[in-house]
Amino acid sequence: MAAINRPTPASLHEYIWQREKNSRSRNPLLPSPEKILRYGAIVGSVIQCHSSMDRTMDQARLHICDLEKTGASVASGTVILADTLIRSKGRFSRSWHAPVGGLWGCLILADTFLTRARTILPLTLGISCCEAVRDLGVDKACVRWVNDVLFSGQKIAGFLVESFRSPQHGEEFHLLGFGININNNCFPDALENTAVSLSQILGSPVNLHDFTLSFLAKMAWNIGLLSYEEEQELGRSCSPEDEESHLLLDQWKSLSDTLGRRVLYGYDIQQHPLYEARVTGIRPDGAIVMQLGDGHEIIEHSGELQYL
Amino acid sequence: MSEEIDFDAILGKYHSDPYDYVEICATHTGRVSFKIAEGDTVNSPSGEWLHIPGSPLFEITREQNPKLVTAKTNGTISSVRQELEGQFVEAGEKLLTIRHPLKKKEVIEGILKEVLYLFPAPERAKYFFSLDIQSRIEKKGARAITIKPGDEIIIMSLMKRDTPIYYTGEAGVIHSVYFSPGLSVDQGQPLIGVCASEKLPLIQKVITRVKADWDKLADPGHLED
Repeated sequence: MAAINRPTPASLHEYIWQREKNSRSRNPLLPSPEKILRYGAIVGSVIQCHSSMDRTMDQARLHICDLEKTGASVASGTVILADTLIRSKGRFSRSWHAPVGGLWGCLILADTFLTRARTILPLTLGISCCEAVRDLGVDKACVRWVNDVLFSGQKIAGFLVESFRSPQHGEEFHLLGFGININNNCFPDALENTAVSLSQILGSPVNLHDFTLSFLAKMAWNIGLLSYEEEQELGRSCSPEDEESHLLLDQWKSLSDTLGRRVLYGYDIQQHPLYEARVTGIRPDGAIVMQLGDGHEIIEHSGELQYL
Repeated sequence: MSEEIDFDAILGKYHSDPYDYVEICATHTGRVSFKIAEGDTVNSPSGEWLHIPGSPLFEITREQNPKLVTAKTNGTISSVRQELEGQFVEAGEKLLTIRHPLKKKEVIEGILKEVLYLFPAPERAKYFFSLDIQSRIEKKGARAITIKPGDEIIIMSLMKRDTPIYYTGEAGVIHSVYFSPGLSVDQGQPLIGVCASEKLPLIQKVITRVKADWDKLADPGHLED
C-alpha cells in the first residue's frame, strides 16, 4: 500500500532553497543563510515513505545494519516517514498514539559533531517544529525545555533522540525521532487533556505534505546552525563553555516560555517528580539553571519539566 | 587480584592513616586566587540534591571570566601552593590537597575499588541500566548478572538524548553500582564495579573482615562509622 505522505528529496530541496532561504534571508541579524543551509543540506538527502510500520527508530537501525551488510553506508540525513505507527512509544516505554494524519518519522544523522553540538542537538527538533507550527499562524506555540512543543499547556509534538552504533564498523549515528500531531484529532482517554493536534488548534485540516517540507527545511536550517557555530567556535580562541552566544540557543530562547517559570523537575516526571524550582536560565551547553526554594541554584543537564 | 590478602596490612594501613588525600588541580588555564589556607576545614556539597556548593577553594580567571571552584569533599586543607597565588597556571597544575577523614563505608569502597574493574562514565550525564539488564537485576540482583565486553549495559541520558553504553572491561558480575537513576555522574567517575564471578567469595570475605575488625582497630578519635 502506497504511503499517503510522500515528500521527495527534490521537493524538499526546492522548498529549502526557495522558501526557507528567502524566509531566513529576511532576518538581517542572521549571517550567511546560504552557508548555513548548505551545512544542513544533508537533511532529507534520502526520504523513505511507508504507509505503516512498527517504529521508525527500529526501521532506522535495521536500515543502517542492512546497508552495512552490503558494504554500503547509510546516507546521513536519511528521513524515514510512516503514515501510521503500530508500536510507537515515548520515553521510558510511555505509549505514543500515532494514527494516520500525524507526522511520524525519524531522521538519521551520522555523528560528525563536536561535543557541544552533540549535546544541544536535541534542541533542533523542538525549535524546528515550533517554527513550522508558528508559520501556520499558531503564534502561541512554545518550546518547553528540552524540546516539547506545547500550545496552551497541551502537547503538539514529542521527540526522542537515540544514539546507535552500527554493529559491523562501529559507526555512530543519531536517530532523531519525531511525532507531530497534525490532522489526527482523536486521542486515547489518557492523552485527551494533554495532547492536541494542529488541526484542532486551527479548526481546519493542515496540508500534511507542506508541513512535512516546512519541518524538514527548518531541521536543515537548525542542523546547519550547529555546524556553522562549530566552524565559528573552532576559529575562536576561547573554550565553547565560555561562549554565551550561540545562534541555536538564541533561537531556542526566543521560542521557549520556560525561562522564568515555576516548574516541577524530575528525571522521569510522570513516575518520579523530584523538586519544585524556578527556571532562571539556560547554559551554553543547553543545561537548565533553576533556583530552589532555599535560594540555591541547581543545574540539570537531563530530565523533564512540568509547568506549575 | 591476589588470592591471598593480607587483611592486617590493609586494615593497619587505614588504621595508621585513616585519611584520603585529595589533590585539587587547576581545571583549566588561568590566574589563581586562593580562598583557603593550610589547616582550614572545608565542607562538601550539601542539601537534599547536593545543590549547596562546598566551601570555596580558589578562583581561577581566564579571559576575564572568573570561576569559583568549591570543595567536592570535606576535610582539612593539608597543603596549599601559596607560591602560585596570583600566578597564571596551566590546566592540571596541582594547587592544594584536602585531607579527608575516611568512614568505614569509604574504607570498604576504597578496598573494593582497588580490586574491582571500574567502568567509568564517558560524560557528565544521568545513567540508568538498559531495559534488559534492569529487568534481570530486578529478578535476580546485580551480583547475579554476568556481563562481557560489547554488551549494552547502561543508557546515558543527556539533554533527552539516550545513548547506549557498551561495556568494555573484563567479563564478570556486577558487584557494585555507583550511580542512581536521576542523579548526574561526573565524567570519569565509576558507574559500576565488576569482578570475575569466582572472586565474589573472596571480595565478600574482604568486606566481612573489614566490618568485623573495624571496631577492634578503630581509634574513636579518628575513625567514624
